Amino acid sequence: MVEFKGGLRMDKQKRSVGIISGKGGVGKTSLTASLTNLTKDDLEINSIVLDCDVDAPNLALILPVESNEQVETIDTYTTLKATFIEDKCVHCKQCIDEKFCEFHALKWDEENQIPEVDYLACEGCGACKVLCPEHAFTINTVKSGEMIHYLSDIGVPLIYGKTRLGSTTSGKLVSDVKEFASKIDNFDNYNLILIDGPPGIGCPVIATVSGLDFIIAITEPTPSGLHDLIRAIEVVQQFKIPFGIVINKYDLKSPFQDQFKKFIDDTGYNILGRIPYDLAIPKAMSFAKTVVEHAPDSKASLAIKEIYNNLKNLLWNDTTQ
Amino acid sequence: MEKRPKVICVTGGKGGTGKTLVAVNIATMFKNEGKKVLLIDGDVENPNTYLLLGGTLENKEAVPFFKPKINEEKCTKCGLCAENCAPHALLHIKDAYPVPILAVCSGCRLCYKICPVGAIEEDYTTVGWTYSTKLNDISLLVGELKPTEARSASIVEVLMEKLTKIMEEEPTKYEIVILDTAPGAHCDVELLIGMADKVIPVTEPTKFGKLDLLRIIELIKLLNKDFRAIINRSSLLGYRDQFLKELEESNIEMLGDIPLDDDIVNSYCLGKPLMDDTSEFKGGAGYNSFQKIFENLELWLNSKGD
Amino acid sequence: MVIVAVPSFGDGGLNSFMNPRFGRCDTFTFITIENNSIKEVKAVSNMAANAMGGAGIQAVQTIGNYGATEVIVGNLGPNAAQSLAASNFKIHQAPNEQLTIKNLIELYIEGKLQTISGATVASHYGMSGSGRGMGGGGGRGMGGGRGMGGGQGRRF
Repeated sequence: MVEFKGGLRMDKQKRSVGIISGKGGVGKTSLTASLTNLTKDDLEINSIVLDCDVDAPNLALILPVESNEQVETIDTYTTLKATFIEDKCVHCKQCIDEKFCEFHALKWDEENQIPEVDYLACEGCGACKVLCPEHAFTINTVKSGEMIHYLSDIGVPLIYGKTRLGSTTSGKLVSDVKEFASKIDNFDNYNLILIDGPPGIGCPVIATVSGLDFIIAITEPTPSGLHDLIRAIEVVQQFKIPFGIVINKYDLKSPFQDQFKKFIDDTGYNILGRIPYDLAIPKAMSFAKTVVEHAPDSKASLAIKEIYNNLKNLLWNDTTQ
Repeated sequence: MEKRPKVICVTGGKGGTGKTLVAVNIATMFKNEGKKVLLIDGDVENPNTYLLLGGTLENKEAVPFFKPKINEEKCTKCGLCAENCAPHALLHIKDAYPVPILAVCSGCRLCYKICPVGAIEEDYTTVGWTYSTKLNDISLLVGELKPTEARSASIVEVLMEKLTKIMEEEPTKYEIVILDTAPGAHCDVELLIGMADKVIPVTEPTKFGKLDLLRIIELIKLLNKDFRAIINRSSLLGYRDQFLKELEESNIEMLGDIPLDDDIVNSYCLGKPLMDDTSEFKGGAGYNSFQKIFENLELWLNSKGD
Repeated sequence: MVIVAVPSFGDGGLNSFMNPRFGRCDTFTFITIENNSIKEVKAVSNMAANAMGGAGIQAVQTIGNYGATEVIVGNLGPNAAQSLAASNFKIHQAPNEQLTIKNLIELYIEGKLQTISGATVASHYGMSGSGRGMGGGGGRGMGGGRGMGGGQGRRF
């Protein structure tokens, strides 16, 4: 399935790059997809791409599968939930009176004099199972989501996770997707792993960035774009991962521009590139294409190509090897 | 008739569709009518409501999260706590005291409850903060996750406990409560939608927007809530009509749409709500669209019950 | 006398390769060293290899209960790193992943392994430190061993 491009042996070491933003909707997925597309014709790079925005995996919309037969779907069972066994219950109500559950997932059914497990609230911690003197609770694994693996139409394998609603396990699924990706055939032959991250700075983001070589933090010149970028960078710095900034819609007409520029200049952040506001991006998306493919000469595409080259330089030329 | 505030939750699935913009401006329009409004920012990973209201956060309160503390004078190193800890948040090597590994602790307190000699004590770590303030005559309650912490849901839970307390103890303190959620469809979002009477998913006319809208609607339906959608940036590339048609085919009811408008970006960046009484943006396309949305919202709120 | 634990592939033992994945390795090989020579070698399967969560923490428990006080590792997750540090393990970094346990122990005895602290390990395991010497790795006369790694080499 995977072949070395043109029979060349790649001498670039494997690098993993996460694309995050803090704020949602600033262009993580569009950038990830475009960067992935640019690897297609790059003889030095053999890439795979992961979509770790497991609550809203959208990458597959612009890197669609070539043929449905290739799609492999794996259910994940990483969520634990408590199950109540009515036969064993002696209706003592100790579980409620002594507050076995810290997560308010046990409620008393007055009519039947039994506890009820609130499936959505249950964290699967197992406290009820251990504490109930009658052993009237068990803990079971339930489906938490699925992972989908296929070869996209540009020839790059895409792996994404999708949570099952109400399974409360986004972070774990992110780790699963990364773990799963590391076990695909010929994983060793890929030298660039691109990861589209979730918005925010919480559990799924932490799970996404942990262990990566480089982070691209994308933002836009608005107060919330900046505010959220700063928070995301705090997380990245905690992991001591090198990062670069991409400013999307950098030419947005906004009274916040001066303040934004000054802040970015003052921090001395490493700027990977600036993408102009360009309707070519949503337009390309409506054709299920990346902008670099659909409008290769558009302003946005040129900017993204520059970002791609800067990224490669940072990943492979800058470091001790 | 029981008096309690109406709770409206603004959500959206996809990030950056304009959830906070809608939440802040709906709150502002209710305030303009003289209503007592509480706006709760439940996007605790990135709370931005106060930026749009042009204010700062006050009355900071820490959100504590349980962590086990081993009292080495009492501990007999029996290992019962570690044996029963499902996420293995207690490391126990024979003849050594157990060591809490907090990153995986669920906070279930089981160790504290089962230790036969009472050697596990309750201790707390700060995972974030809540703030309460009043900006533009809107009461604002904000949750903030401490960066590098993962437990955002515990902060949303504290916000919802505060809301529940207000509803029980002072049911007439507010007439309208607006909840602003994080993007996604995870537990934080679920908790907030679960508290709402009405849910407003905000989307945009793109493939991403539609897919994520359908997903959040699935969650809203799972939680048995009444919802109506808003399309933001509806004039993008002339996709509005086609997108509306697609939503209609999926039987999604609409509250209205907001066109692309520089006024919106400007008000946003200046920290002055577009819909404020004193707004310099009156009469613009964005302003008018919000007025229409508000009319529809009021009709919807009054359509059942009361 | 000191017992060193090394995560290993398959059944473990001196001739097996070090497994870079600490918490999810197949076996732990325990090497008892006295007066700079190998006294005893034992392999114990890693019960936590397929655990749903907390594999790193459980693995530390396993090797700790066996009496090991030092460990040679490829990659460490943050929880495993914290657990090792909290239990006062001495942590040595394998220079690359193409080494057998025997190679590693020789380096250990010669004092040529780098000791790392929990805090630095807790960060990432990519660019710095343990990178696999691409190109060189296969050619060092241990080509046979590469296959054992299968798709399980370095993760991210």
